Amino acid sequence: MESGTHQFEPHVSEVQLRISGTGLPELFEEAGYALAELMLGEAPLPQPAPESAGERVTLVAADTEALLVDWLNELIARSDLTKRVYTDLVVDELKERSLRAHIRGVSPPVLKTAVKAATFHGLELHEHDDGFTATVVLDV
Amino acid sequence: METLPEVPQRLEPLIRQIGPALYELGQGFREDMRVPARIVADSELLQQMVQDRSVPQLVNVTTLPGIQGFAIGMPDMHEGYGFPVGGVAGTALPDGVISPGGIGFDINCGVRLLATGLRHEDVKEVLPEVAHDLARSIPTGFGRHGRLSLSPEQMDRVLTEGVPYLVDTLGLGTLEDVDYLEAGGCLDGADTAKVSVRARERGHDQLGTLGGGNHFLEVQRVERVLDVEASSALGLFERQLTVLIHTGSRGLGHQVCTDAVRIMDSALAHEGIRLVDRQLACAPLSSREGQDYFAAMCAAANFAWANRQVLTHRVREVFRRWFGDRSAAWPRIVYDVAHNIAKLEPHGGQRLCVHRKGATRAFGPGHPELPAAYRQVGQPVFIPGSMGTASFVLVGQGAAEAISLSSACHGAGRRLSRAASKRQVVGSELRAALNRQGIAVECPSNAELAEEAPLAYKDVDRVVDVVEAAGLARKVARLVPLAVLKG
Repeated sequence: MESGTHQFEPHVSEVQLRISGTGLPELFEEAGYALAELMLGEAPLPQPAPESAGERVTLVAADTEALLVDWLNELIARSDLTKRVYTDLVVDELKERSLRAHIRGVSPPVLKTAVKAATFHGLELHEHDDGFTATVVLDV
Repeated sequence: METLPEVPQRLEPLIRQIGPALYELGQGFREDMRVPARIVADSELLQQMVQDRSVPQLVNVTTLPGIQGFAIGMPDMHEGYGFPVGGVAGTALPDGVISPGGIGFDINCGVRLLATGLRHEDVKEVLPEVAHDLARSIPTGFGRHGRLSLSPEQMDRVLTEGVPYLVDTLGLGTLEDVDYLEAGGCLDGADTAKVSVRARERGHDQLGTLGGGNHFLEVQRVERVLDVEASSALGLFERQLTVLIHTGSRGLGHQVCTDAVRIMDSALAHEGIRLVDRQLACAPLSSREGQDYFAAMCAAANFAWANRQVLTHRVREVFRRWFGDRSAAWPRIVYDVAHNIAKLEPHGGQRLCVHRKGATRAFGPGHPELPAAYRQVGQPVFIPGSMGTASFVLVGQGAAEAISLSSACHGAGRRLSRAASKRQVVGSELRAALNRQGIAVECPSNAELAEEAPLAYKDVDRVVDVVEAAGLARKVARLVPLAVLKG
């Protein structure tokens, strides 16, 4: 079974993302991959060159849902700063309100979709028998 | 979220018409509403609005602490996040809340209209090359090439002084420019200490860039003058060459909003308060969180005005290259309005924090904040259509004060998602169709064109008719595109 899947759901003005993962780390990684696919407009995602620099991410949030929003916003902000889109994502540790991860990215000349931010609007995170599902709206 | 039943033909009993192009959903609809929700629309636009979640989102806005009067939906209202796009709400100072989601991530996204003394027929032959020169002169895409990069000290000055700093110190404009910008291109109250390091880093090389999505720079001609007196005051005439710029505060503004929502959400969580929509995270304007956000928002707004000023400078450089130094070729600023912002304004004897999310200010004649040349006719309001369709210039009317806190809409409003638009429109065919209409298109992506296709938006002529019927603003001129540049 795939460890994570995602769909882009209808929204009039923004992008609504539904992500599933067999576990929370997988869900968070999948959310990052969905973001990268949206920004690049392509799947499968290009992989960073083996020699490309890695970056460490450490986040603390009010709760797990807020942590998911913070994670996506961290990737968006870093993309803006480094001009990379992060397509190699590994969540090393995920607790209820904190995470540590390491990420690597590619440097595209243009973006298909400029994402402004992940929002708290309609934010949902549910656990079920097969893992976790979340819904997040992105401002584009 | 609540959903409304299908709206009956006569829009009764839940949403009732209370005036020309004005509807109300009373407080009794939901227990937590503090004020009614009002919508400026005709019956067809209202039917479109109830197809998405914009009306329930407007109802959620009515629950904000300190909200006065009513939450208002503009004729282009459509589903957003937190506030609907095209939503207006005023909260009472000092303890009414300020909600970053009620302004949006793109703080001071707005529109600026430039006008020349040139006629379309004077420049028709070279317009495609001019458009291409504009595309080369304005950085787009994801890279760093060709960008203006600010030092930390320059960034501080931009954030606190806005456009006057660019004009006085960097020579990027004239003193006259400042008179024709909302707030003179600078909001007092900016505090650079409240803008995070990350926000400053994101913005340091983004002045003079358009950004993506529905941002654009459009060369236009005035197709028709609709009000002789007002168009004369604004210096508009038929067949005139104009330029419309739509962009905002870029990554700096996005980060300011991201930071503030996070802080306010944490503060509410700490107090054990759950909002009906977490994106409506807010704090009393008198609180530390509220004051900090307002100071950062002012700084981001100043950055956005500075962004549009640098773009104006680029347009002027290109026009000078092609049309020389004669005064007719000089693109002067008609006006510049924000459509994602919070302003402290007096309304109905109270001082309110007016949130405008996808809505613009529309002061009527006589308002002291207007440039002297416009005081007789009212504040210019710009309603761009979608790509390839008309845009309108209007002037605010005094009646807007009581109806909409002196607000009007900011565009045609989306009615289809990007995905739905792409399913129905082939980008390359749209590009060819626009070219056949005589519109030069500078956009690298056919997919992006398809997402912004005219059919994805409401009918701008209808939206503008409703704005006028409701008494918010009156039509001055209709502009049509000649060239479109997208980021």
